[in-house]
Amino acid sequence: MSDGLHMHSLAWVGGSDAPEKNALNIGYMPLTDCASMVVAATQGFGQPYGLTLNLRRQTSWAGINDKLLSGELDAAHSLYGMIYAIQLGISGAAATDMAILMGLNQNGQSINLSQPLKEAGVTSASALQQHAHQKGTKLTFAQTFPTGTHAMWLYYWLASQGIHPLQDVNSVIVPPPQMLAHLEAGRIDGFCVGEPWSAHAVEHGQGFTLTTSQAIWPDHPEKVLACTREFVEQNPNAARALVMSVLDASRFIEKSLENRRSTAQLLSCSEFLDAPLSSVEPRLLGEYCDGLGNRWHDAHSLRFHNNGATNFPYLSDGMWFLTQFRRWGLLREDPDYLAVTSQVQQTELYSAAATALNIPVPDTAIRSSRLLDGSVWNGADPAGYARSFTLHALNDH
Amino acid sequence: MAAMLRILLINDTSKKVGRLRTALSEAGFEVIDESGLTIDLPTRVESVRPDVVLIDTESPSRDVMEQVVLVTRDQPRPIVMFTDEHDPGVMRQAIKSGVSAYIVEGIHAQRLQPIMDVAMARFESDQMLRSQLHARDQQLAERKRIELAKGMLMKMKDCNEEDAYTLMRRQAMSKQQKLIQVAEQIIAMNELLG
Repeated sequence: MSDGLHMHSLAWVGGSDAPEKNALNIGYMPLTDCASMVVAATQGFGQPYGLTLNLRRQTSWAGINDKLLSGELDAAHSLYGMIYAIQLGISGAAATDMAILMGLNQNGQSINLSQPLKEAGVTSASALQQHAHQKGTKLTFAQTFPTGTHAMWLYYWLASQGIHPLQDVNSVIVPPPQMLAHLEAGRIDGFCVGEPWSAHAVEHGQGFTLTTSQAIWPDHPEKVLACTREFVEQNPNAARALVMSVLDASRFIEKSLENRRSTAQLLSCSEFLDAPLSSVEPRLLGEYCDGLGNRWHDAHSLRFHNNGATNFPYLSDGMWFLTQFRRWGLLREDPDYLAVTSQVQQTELYSAAATALNIPVPDTAIRSSRLLDGSVWNGADPAGYARSFTLHALNDH
Repeated sequence: MAAMLRILLINDTSKKVGRLRTALSEAGFEVIDESGLTIDLPTRVESVRPDVVLIDTESPSRDVMEQVVLVTRDQPRPIVMFTDEHDPGVMRQAIKSGVSAYIVEGIHAQRLQPIMDVAMARFESDQMLRSQLHARDQQLAERKRIELAKGMLMKMKDCNEEDAYTLMRRQAMSKQQKLIQVAEQIIAMNELLG
């Protein structure tokens, strides 16, 4: 039996589907949602394709940008919106054609408020809205990257509560591992960040989780596996094998509770997240406590696979970030939403990889979602959707 | 002749980018050392109005600079030096120097070369290239060892291939190890027990 698999693997390596590169440098940020890449790389998921994945921990998203563009990294765990910011040239780097190979996760980010706000009784959306509109107070909120997902969740949520994220509050950037220190020092009043850093603050008695990203949009897109378009074009087999390795690992993580638990243990070690297991494991298992005494099992907690539904690079997911860039004035004109996303989202390559692993692929690359303010996003009219919000920063509205 | 460049030097990592200060001053640049909190960086950039911002390539505060870039879009804005030099060779060299430079749009990247040279000379020793392993050879060897261990485990546990992989992986992950490490342990144990 072992010979059988061995032969099969060698046949794959030797055939025309062989990866053009055998060792790939893969960047990631130390966050719980990088799990499928860490599991794929350390647990031999690339072996059937003759692929070695070298994990490279990064300290900033901007660093991931540079290294993807310079070729020092072949692919990376990336913020959904960030890849589009590079594509469209609205970040610090030159506009470069990018590729999103697959979704790495859905859900699992949080908005927290500080301990002083908690003590002042600001523990609900309505209390925050009142507080934010008092004369003389301008609250400061941190997120992680100006075109990243956390900025978009924070802005969307604040706006849905009648708080203009660019006028009524200050918005600053803080690297995730430093959130707790800034919160403790009173330099920020709240933040939106990925795990384990929200759970970590709650565990340290520094404030509470006011809402989760999945409460804003159940099963929202979050991190992606991304690379330059040039990399996919020059290494189509390596790119497909990479997607297969990470897909297989994401399926493995969700196969059992035991697998999820051991994933949490692996992630927490100093080489990867360097965070206590007690901050990593509960929310990875969907167990939330918010720091206000509420505990619940979240039906839309961090997902890595969900039989492929998490991983398919929906065009409508990519377009949503463009509509929010437009809404908040990061894009000053409507891009050709469908054309841009059709180039970036590698739906064909993903479908080939998923099919080879017997993972179902949806019939259409568009999905419909309802967000917390009742608005429905189905990809049909992105320009109209971008202009449909009461609070915005459109330059030409 | 072009005016002297004003450099804001962000000193927030163990690399001590601040060590560059003297060298850059001696080379004729005006250098402002910034070791305060980078959360305030956007305000500092606005008040200092530097031509160049130098920051450790591995600093987490790179993401704060990204905000500066966006906020100042309508003014001459700092951009990563790679923007003008969309050449992977130049980018690789800059990354190797260990500091990232943001230059105000309109200043030719060539004027940055002496700065990068100074940085490169200072930090080259920090940036020793890791020796490239013969990845493919190593990977083939590892695969053989994993196959061997898997076979042993299937025999011991009387289980199928998938179950054996799952057991090995679960063990590896909960011990914060790689699959190959657990495979070696199984092989060693098997030899011991004969």
